[in-house]
Amino acid sequence: MPEYKAPLRDMQFVLHDVFHAEQLWQTMPAMEDVNRELADAILEESAKINESLIAPLSQPGHEEGVTWTDGVVTTPKGYPEAFKQLADGGWGGLSGAPEYGGQTMPKMLVLLFEEMLYSSNIAMGLYLTLTSGAALAIASHASEELKTKFLPNMYSAKWAGAMCLTESHAGTDLGMIRTKAVPQADGSYSVSGTKIFITGGDQDLTENVIHLVLGKLPDAPAGSKGISLFLVPKFKVNDDGSLGEANGVSCGSIEHKMGINASATCVMNFDGAEGYLVGEINRGLQGMFTMMNYERLSVGIQGLSAAEAAYQWSSIYARERTQSRAPSGPVNKDGAADPIIVHPDVRRMLLTQKAYVEAGRAFAVYVGKQLDLSKFASGDTQERGAAMVELLTPVAKAFLTDKGLEGTVHGQQIFGGHGYVREWGMEQLVRDVRISQIYEGTNGIQALDLMGRKIAANGGQTLALLVAEMREFSASAAAVQGMDEFLSPLNEAVDNLESLSAYVLEQTKNGDANAIGAASVEFLHVMGFTLYTYMWAMMCKAVLSGDCAQGEAFAQAKLHTARFFVQRLLPQAKGLSESIRNGSASLMDIPEEAFI
Amino acid sequence: MPQYTAPLRDINFVLKDVLKSDKHFASLATREEVSEDLMDAIISEGAKFSENVLSPLNQPGDQEGCTWSEDGVTTPKGFKEAYKQYAEGGWPSMTANPQFGGQGLPNSLGLVVTEMVSSACWSWGMYTGLSQSAARLLEAYASDELQETYLGKMTEGTWGGTMCLTESHCGSDLGLLRTKAEINADGSYSVTGTKIFISGGEHDMMENIIHLVLARVEGAPEGTKGISLFVVPKFLPDENGEVGERNGVHCGSIEHKMGIKASATCVMNFDSAKGFLVGEENRGLNAMFHMMNSARLGTALQGLSAGEASFQGALAYAKDRLQMRSLSGPKNPNGPADPLIVHADVRRMLLTQKAFAEGSRAFIYWVAQLVDTFYFSGDEQARKDAEELSELLTPIAKAFVTETGLESANYGMQVFGGHGFISEWGMEQIVRDLRISTLYEGTTGIQALDLLGRKVMGSGGKQLMVFTKIIHNFCKEQQDKPGMAPFVTKLAELNKEWGEITGKLGEKAMNNADEVGAASVDYLMYAGYVSLAFMWARMVSVALDGDAEDAFLQAKVKTANFYYQRLLPRTESHKIAMLNGADSLMDMPEDAFAF
Repeated sequence: MPEYKAPLRDMQFVLHDVFHAEQLWQTMPAMEDVNRELADAILEESAKINESLIAPLSQPGHEEGVTWTDGVVTTPKGYPEAFKQLADGGWGGLSGAPEYGGQTMPKMLVLLFEEMLYSSNIAMGLYLTLTSGAALAIASHASEELKTKFLPNMYSAKWAGAMCLTESHAGTDLGMIRTKAVPQADGSYSVSGTKIFITGGDQDLTENVIHLVLGKLPDAPAGSKGISLFLVPKFKVNDDGSLGEANGVSCGSIEHKMGINASATCVMNFDGAEGYLVGEINRGLQGMFTMMNYERLSVGIQGLSAAEAAYQWSSIYARERTQSRAPSGPVNKDGAADPIIVHPDVRRMLLTQKAYVEAGRAFAVYVGKQLDLSKFASGDTQERGAAMVELLTPVAKAFLTDKGLEGTVHGQQIFGGHGYVREWGMEQLVRDVRISQIYEGTNGIQALDLMGRKIAANGGQTLALLVAEMREFSASAAAVQGMDEFLSPLNEAVDNLESLSAYVLEQTKNGDANAIGAASVEFLHVMGFTLYTYMWAMMCKAVLSGDCAQGEAFAQAKLHTARFFVQRLLPQAKGLSESIRNGSASLMDIPEEAFI
Repeated sequence: MPQYTAPLRDINFVLKDVLKSDKHFASLATREEVSEDLMDAIISEGAKFSENVLSPLNQPGDQEGCTWSEDGVTTPKGFKEAYKQYAEGGWPSMTANPQFGGQGLPNSLGLVVTEMVSSACWSWGMYTGLSQSAARLLEAYASDELQETYLGKMTEGTWGGTMCLTESHCGSDLGLLRTKAEINADGSYSVTGTKIFISGGEHDMMENIIHLVLARVEGAPEGTKGISLFVVPKFLPDENGEVGERNGVHCGSIEHKMGIKASATCVMNFDSAKGFLVGEENRGLNAMFHMMNSARLGTALQGLSAGEASFQGALAYAKDRLQMRSLSGPKNPNGPADPLIVHADVRRMLLTQKAFAEGSRAFIYWVAQLVDTFYFSGDEQARKDAEELSELLTPIAKAFVTETGLESANYGMQVFGGHGFISEWGMEQIVRDLRISTLYEGTTGIQALDLLGRKVMGSGGKQLMVFTKIIHNFCKEQQDKPGMAPFVTKLAELNKEWGEITGKLGEKAMNNADEVGAASVDYLMYAGYVSLAFMWARMVSVALDGDAEDAFLQAKVKTANFYYQRLLPRTESHKIAMLNGADSLMDMPEDAFAF
């Protein structure tokens, strides 16, 4: 299995040359202390620990997996020690609130750390990022008392966090959950029920696990309006902050899965466990929403990360493996065959990976920027950022992970038969990334969220903001010499996106209740392609305006890759759009019984 | 784990109604007669065996995997016993030559059984599939003496076979292979070298394994022109034709893989093993290609089989699992939620699976008939046409059906949500098992080069025209039939466009040698979508002639409609991408791929 190298140059290009992050940070008071120097130092340190410590544990962890014995979960060899180093390095508190010991770094930057972490080892990464997610939910919605008691140890990753939503009969449809929370005289709740698919529900990395659990009060309304959120620690915490007795939370078993074998996916039993309400009664789902936007972006980044690793290793393999001659004549005359990178179809697979990865990285940072604006800016800028977060999050989650799977499959394909054999590491990437299309809301759910809640529900207003932004960019970039080959496809893609959404909204208005569900996944992909075209145009503009500080060869490669993207990948939006315009009837007309 | 149920209605519909198997079988001069009763009996017995014996072995086989020791490879529990039952049932001899005890049935009928076997337990099917391919090759190319020695045992299934091509440094590029064969005084050869990725190279299901090995005779020309083919048995047959002395071929290790874990993928060491030349020296690849075509069609079938199994699992789950309400109002008002199948996007995934599985079945069965015709028809012209057409369609079937099979298996997993990722539900195994099919027997990229480079451009477009003419005539014949217009109009349009695209690529290729490779995979996928559109139109035409009240036939028309409306538009994307040419692929310097 090859080594992972953090793509620092591309990260710096995106952060500084394309999005001019430092200037942006200056506009937000909470970010004032963050500058380019600090950002680069964080990226470099992050690269070091991930490359040298976290990445080497990925393959052995995959082979060994997590074990469960009599309720005790043991992670693979080396995981507890490595996690401690992550904790000691402060990597758990990067985006935490300062009053509880967090570092308040911008998401634009923190997500690049997450990218490296996941590229190195998704399974290990999850323990840390789920802790950050749980801490974020606590910081946003819990009482002062809970925050003071729990946040500092979560930021320092001394304690980990877990999100307990799913039950065996309720995954997408959380309204059906059955976990009970009975109010106690002291104001706490007694929580009982069984949760499944709980990532990091138990482990041997931290001395305590802080569960955020969705449950229902005895008299709660049916459905999703009767769900409350509770903080339930594995070990109770004494008033002085020391650990108290065990709290009726136990891991009943762990799942045997396709991938992320080193991540413990637990069945968690809550048996009269003491829990504390987070936020208001029956408003538990709202308490999750803030965190969910961050989590969904983070899961999207898993797609990007796996694809980056697949690209790195397959591009090395393609230059080393010799097999057959180039169609236009031998290139490696002294060797028995040419390196496979000479073959056009191998290049197609490499460039497909590269084009999606680099656009995906820019897009992730762009969404991170919106998250930062929504959190740290003020006035209209803040509001606009918040609206864009809502619109873009489902695209980031689903498109990045769908392209993540595609990228890893291409990487595996370049290895030929070796791609199928475990020791080469490529099949693990496919297996590890496959879950990202499913958890945190399947990609089908993301698409419904996008098309239904984020677009149709407001008559397309937020989408119109994005469309206007892309048009403004295009108009302003037109003056830059050489931009036309990238702006023409962008203009066309934006027009198509606008008319396509109008088409679906029209169908809905005309009474087709299935119009949204029938169009949603393909629409999300058309929107993803459009946004990636926008990202490529922005990157090309940085290059052609002389903003790229990464040298001429790097700059030229950007233009080459952008050209490949608009010529060879963007056409997929055409077929998808045509499919949507053919309407929902062909999906809905067939009776259930006739499927078989 | 989904219980496999053979899709007998669809199999029969395709075979009898669409492909007119009775007429087809009657046209095969040199094969045994196949009555409808016999065909029904074979298919229903094959279904029973697959459902009852093989399907239960699939998941435990994946969990247990194969184990290697110095003494050999042990297959998972139950594999050996199932094979014994299979051999006793006479299945290995089904399509074999009667001269050596075979039943002489057409391959297209054997393929139906293979489909069911592969859906039920792919790994198990690898051992029998490769053995039969090896026997077919010996029937076609080996000397009488070799045939006498080996084919009886292989036909009765006591001995199996493999194909040993790949070496660690050469997979796609066989010209680089190094395994040596030195001639012995008795006319046999001494074969030395190491082969990798040998499926079924060693196992405990059969008493002897007959390896077909590619090697170089001393002094052979370099590259692909210096490759010869040898029979190298694990045990040399004694004078009575029974298992005799152990030959110098041993399994050094087995691979740990993403899937098909119950199929032993072996490193095979040949250490002065005694081998016997098959066919002429330096003509080994020609013989192997023969086997490869049938193996490629067999791999295409695996894409279909896994897609079918995944569809069955996902459909049952989508009807059973209750989650959320339908957007058009509750469909299961008395339950806590509606079944998944009410949701438009779940339907999109299920219909995509269904459209690919049924379209692919019709396509592969048709290609299998063409292969029958090529081998066994008495009509020279028919043989020649069938040869050209089946050669054109084989790479399309192999790559398109496995690529779309992977898409389909991923949808099946997606329908299961989080449970899809969990091993016990069996859906992730289908994805892992299927993933090999776009790699082995020539990757998708290699199939695409074969199609566009060798077959289409290599024949100056003539080989393609054999097919487009058939489609053209079909469309003309069908255009006035009520109900056919929406299908044949689109099909005729694409058929014409296919020719135009080919012409344009031909022109580009004259100026730039990279254009073929740059267009090839998009071209193959385009070809696949049009081929399935043709098969769907044929199925619709037959369905429209049947009982209008028959729900199965109605579903055929509706699924065809879905295919045309929601999947076929992908051709447009492939067209634009390939016509945009090679420059954006080739201009970037190698060093610029990574910084």
